[in-house]
Amino acid sequence: MVISPVHYIALPLMAAFLIPLFGKINKDLVRLIPGLVLLYLSYVSVVLMTQVVTQDTTIIEVLAGWSPPWGINLVFSPFTGFLASLFSMLGFLIWMYTYNFKPEVDFAQTQKFYVLFMMLITGAIGIVLTGDIFNLFVFLEITAISAYALTAFYRERDGAEAAFKYLLIGSFASFLILLAIVLLYTQVGTLNMAEIAQRMPDVNPYMKGVILMLFFVGFGIEAEMFPLNGWAPDVYTQAPGPIGAIFSGMVVKAGVYALIRVIFTLFDVSEVLPLLLIMGVVTMAVAEVIAMRQGRLKRMLAYSSIGQMGLVLVAFGIGTHEAVFAAIFLMFNHAIIKGMLFLSGTYLVYNSTDKKISDLDGIGKLMPFTAFLFALGSLAIVGLPPFAGFWSKLYILMAAADVRLIAVIAIILVVSIIEIVYYFRVIHRIYFKERTSTIEIKIPSFNAKFVMLVLALLIVVIGVYPDLISGLIERAATDLLDKQHYIQSVLSVGRN
Amino acid sequence: MNEFLTISFYGTAIALMLIGLYAALAKKNLLKIVIGLSIVDSGLHLLFVAIGYINKGTAPIFSAEVLDSAQTMVDPVPQALVLTAIVIGFAVTAVALSLVMRLYRHHNTASIDEIKNLKW
Repeated sequence: MVISPVHYIALPLMAAFLIPLFGKINKDLVRLIPGLVLLYLSYVSVVLMTQVVTQDTTIIEVLAGWSPPWGINLVFSPFTGFLASLFSMLGFLIWMYTYNFKPEVDFAQTQKFYVLFMMLITGAIGIVLTGDIFNLFVFLEITAISAYALTAFYRERDGAEAAFKYLLIGSFASFLILLAIVLLYTQVGTLNMAEIAQRMPDVNPYMKGVILMLFFVGFGIEAEMFPLNGWAPDVYTQAPGPIGAIFSGMVVKAGVYALIRVIFTLFDVSEVLPLLLIMGVVTMAVAEVIAMRQGRLKRMLAYSSIGQMGLVLVAFGIGTHEAVFAAIFLMFNHAIIKGMLFLSGTYLVYNSTDKKISDLDGIGKLMPFTAFLFALGSLAIVGLPPFAGFWSKLYILMAAADVRLIAVIAIILVVSIIEIVYYFRVIHRIYFKERTSTIEIKIPSFNAKFVMLVLALLIVVIGVYPDLISGLIERAATDLLDKQHYIQSVLSVGRN
Repeated sequence: MNEFLTISFYGTAIALMLIGLYAALAKKNLLKIVIGLSIVDSGLHLLFVAIGYINKGTAPIFSAEVLDSAQTMVDPVPQALVLTAIVIGFAVTAVALSLVMRLYRHHNTASIDEIKNLKW
């Protein structure tokens, strides 16, 4: 079988819908199949990324023999490929974590969980890989629908309420995005993103502004941008723990990708970058201040996640090559660090109904391993050396200094102090307080410990040797900024 | 005649979208909100089809009789997209309704004001 980017979408989607059938053959297959598919996708990622990096090409996958701009195509470039690889590998790790996460959940529920789990990952990878704007919308909806269902997964929590809230805001976002696609189609007469980018200079500037604003708000909602990010904290609190890691690691990243692709490639108007910068700063500042006032662990992590996404938007908003590099680096770091925080934090508050931070008092002695990893993740996310988070924050500050954005640097530093305050408050409770709560603790299963350890090692290793990954990110940044290359590599496939 | 058709198509589409948005934002009953969302979708679908529509146009199939009739062909792309969008809208409505059912069983009310275990 020839390895091609289409496996990223075909295999997990097929696996998702075949899971109930496999369940009839053997109950263990339901849990095994997603892992095998994701392991294979990680292998595909390694092969394709090597090909893209060594031959310095962009792999364009033509679907059903309709070459671009007529058919739908998948674009595996250094940037999209990097994100797709990140999603499939992180997906595999999170699958390993979920393998015996809640043993008491019955078989029918497990089956539903994995169907939705696979659809969520397919959707996120699809958003990143597709080269067709309407196809992007379809994948966004696949992601959104499975995300709504997963939020409401636990019947005993208030999941349905959070999911309904998410659905309301999400439907509004998809309405705006679809409206933008309709208007865009009337202006350029094509749905292929490369061809849209090529024809964009001829579009009436007013129309362009309207369409861009619709996309900006629509994808901004998915990317947790202020002020329409009220859904995020409730969703993170109510969804199953590992799903929180997927939301912050993949779903929101896919939203940011869509926003960035539309701004940088499709429209390429530098006027909108300051707006992105301002929205990023506001998102970050507001979210971090609110995070400090949270009494519940997952809500705090959720607001911290929003704050980090704000920082990503700030870096993209600066718009220079160094800043884009730093932004992609931060996207990667945030995926692994916040992933680990969600995974370890979930076990810290496993049996607690309110998931309060005060339930963590003195837990460091009872769960030394998990608590230590949580503390390590906290240090990494606030950007202390020698952890991975340090480098991305440093690069963002340097990029901001290059273009003399002193106010932005000041805000980032102040916000970092706020971050340190609320994360250290948790560490303080974990290690320096006497345990008062009587909630039974839950020791993580072996595979969950293994996954957290792998992520922790990644954080430390990348913190010490950032060059391991910076080459790939450098290429990704160059690829994102080179719009002409994107247009040419997609449209040249059609001419041969 | 043609102009009248265009205006009525676009007018209806925009009216439907506004009615739907009003229902989704202003109504307190969960079911009415879901109905509002699906009306918004209908309006958007109508707008989509109206864009590709040509009065007295033909189906977009090349044949011997209509070889040079590309000008009078209805644009097939929006129609294909609308089919997809309808399916997506159906799925979202189904999920929304199941959530409403769950909320109703849990809280014994369908009023959004009385369901506030979480901060809205």
